[in-house]
Amino acid sequence: MFEVRFHGRGGQGAVMAAQTLAEAAVIEGNYAVAFPFFGAERRGAPVLAFTRIDAKKIYSKTQVYAPDCVVVLDDSLLDTIDVVAGLKPDGMVVINSKEKPQDIDLGKEIKTAAVDATSVALEILKAPITNTAILGAFAKAAGLIRIESLEEAIKRRFGEKLGEKVGERNAMAARTAYEKTVIGKSKGIKKLESRKQWLPAYQELPVGGALFEGKTEAGLIGPGSFIENKVSGWATFRPLRDKEKCTMCLLCWFYCPEGTIVRISDRGDLMTNYDYCKGCGICANECPVDAIKMVRARV
Amino acid sequence: MKLKDLPDDNLFTAGHTACPGCGAAMSIRNAIRILGKDTVVYVPASCAVVFGTTFPYGAWKVPFFHTAFENTGACLTGMKAAFEKKGKNVTAVGFAGDGGTYDIGLQSMSGAAERNDDILYICLDNEAYMNTGIQRSGGTPFGAWTTTTPVGKEVQGNRRFKKNLADIVIAHEIPYYATLSIGHPMDFIRKVEKAMTIKGFRFLHMFTPCIPGWKMDPAKTVEVTKLAVESGMWTLYEVENGEKKITYKPGKMRRVRDYLMMQGRFRHMSEEDIKKLQMWVCRKWNLHYGEKGAPEVCEIAPPEEHHAVTEEHREMHGP
Repeated sequence: MFEVRFHGRGGQGAVMAAQTLAEAAVIEGNYAVAFPFFGAERRGAPVLAFTRIDAKKIYSKTQVYAPDCVVVLDDSLLDTIDVVAGLKPDGMVVINSKEKPQDIDLGKEIKTAAVDATSVALEILKAPITNTAILGAFAKAAGLIRIESLEEAIKRRFGEKLGEKVGERNAMAARTAYEKTVIGKSKGIKKLESRKQWLPAYQELPVGGALFEGKTEAGLIGPGSFIENKVSGWATFRPLRDKEKCTMCLLCWFYCPEGTIVRISDRGDLMTNYDYCKGCGICANECPVDAIKMVRARV
Repeated sequence: MKLKDLPDDNLFTAGHTACPGCGAAMSIRNAIRILGKDTVVYVPASCAVVFGTTFPYGAWKVPFFHTAFENTGACLTGMKAAFEKKGKNVTAVGFAGDGGTYDIGLQSMSGAAERNDDILYICLDNEAYMNTGIQRSGGTPFGAWTTTTPVGKEVQGNRRFKKNLADIVIAHEIPYYATLSIGHPMDFIRKVEKAMTIKGFRFLHMFTPCIPGWKMDPAKTVEVTKLAVESGMWTLYEVENGEKKITYKPGKMRRVRDYLMMQGRFRHMSEEDIKKLQMWVCRKWNLHYGEKGAPEVCEIAPPEEHHAVTEEHREMHGP
């Protein structure tokens, strides 16, 4: 049995990728299952999806804990999630990254295939939806599924749901990524510390779950503690403000749904806190003097 | 209060987990910024609960309470009474979604409105149950795709028109009802401020685009609200003690098609359906502004009295 775990962000299509891969495997006469891991996922938040492929019927229904292959749709996930957890020693990682495999630090030396799927997706699909591009890279790296079957599966699945043209464009994205994929070995230097969590015993929990502002060894809890949650990894683009052009009309500050744009009245200035920017682009779209433009984050 | 007079400090902190470009997050942040720290908040089951509080984290810096879906009105009444008993003067605010107001919370909201309890009820209207994965609600407009009104061969999208919640709420003879749009900041600030100062049951109806549910570009959240107002899909007005006042009137009516084509949830609509919706919008426009919209748009159907009591109606229900 070949097991794949997809790490993505809500909106990148990790679930669709898992399903499409399963469909491609079925086209080649295998058995396959695909399913997502559900949490309270929003767009941009980390999500998981799984695919199992086998020549026999598959009865296993659990999450994939020891994958043969890990597919990472967004390399910003490497900062917060140990993507190689449980990966078999002879397994491999397929990753969406601008860098070459030997420059990517996964915390483990392992066979790695890298492709800049975001650029491929932006070029061909005009949106940073990287699922089909990364599948192209998977086809090349794993050698398990032929790219032709994958293209057929993409055309079927996307075509059915979103129209024939979208299906064909996505198949093209997979083919382009297939040709651009570089295979090598990753670095294994960093030690990823898993984020500490506040795990009180039940006796320590307040009645009714009511929390006061507090500080634990895992950081702030209670009212206003969401500032612990850095969401910069969600962004594909981020705003750059031209101070010369800015007229301080404050519209971007009012419109920003995140609180990324902070006003400092004493200095009469605006500040952008990229830790909390999800790159929606409302500020750039609404700026009356075009003082804000969106640029690629993490280049 | 002007835009520049709003406080720097924010009572709904950054780091919350709403989708990029979330209209609800934007409305909540600004409403609470205006309402200030002497506020207690109730949120029923909705996105706002999930992205605003994930135990043990929370974005709210004001007292916050959450229980079930259908009881926003009742909970607010209770919270206000408890604070009054303690001798504290606070604004009790509920942020309910359209599902929690149009459908599930309607009875509780109606009870609180009938009692004219001193609370502020805010409905964040994103026109479907977005939190559970985009199901149709009473607030879903005609033609819109949702997972429970799919696009098929025979029927495409929602077949019913948006429920007229405004008239239901106003029928309770409450002191203040207003519709708001995040795309009109001055109007938004003025109405929230006004709602704060009035005593009794106040209802603010906010139009909050949902990026995944409406299938649109996150950067267009504000643009789409503006277009909704310009096309007449959303109208800005307030009703104070039964007296209605239009607070913003668009110069020239835009075609509803322009608004629809910005969003994936409408893109399947047939010419016939768009026409049907346009007629509905024209009637609404006529009712609100007391005049025809853009003649070339509204010519397609003569606007009729929307809520006229007909002879037939009288016979059935009495005068």
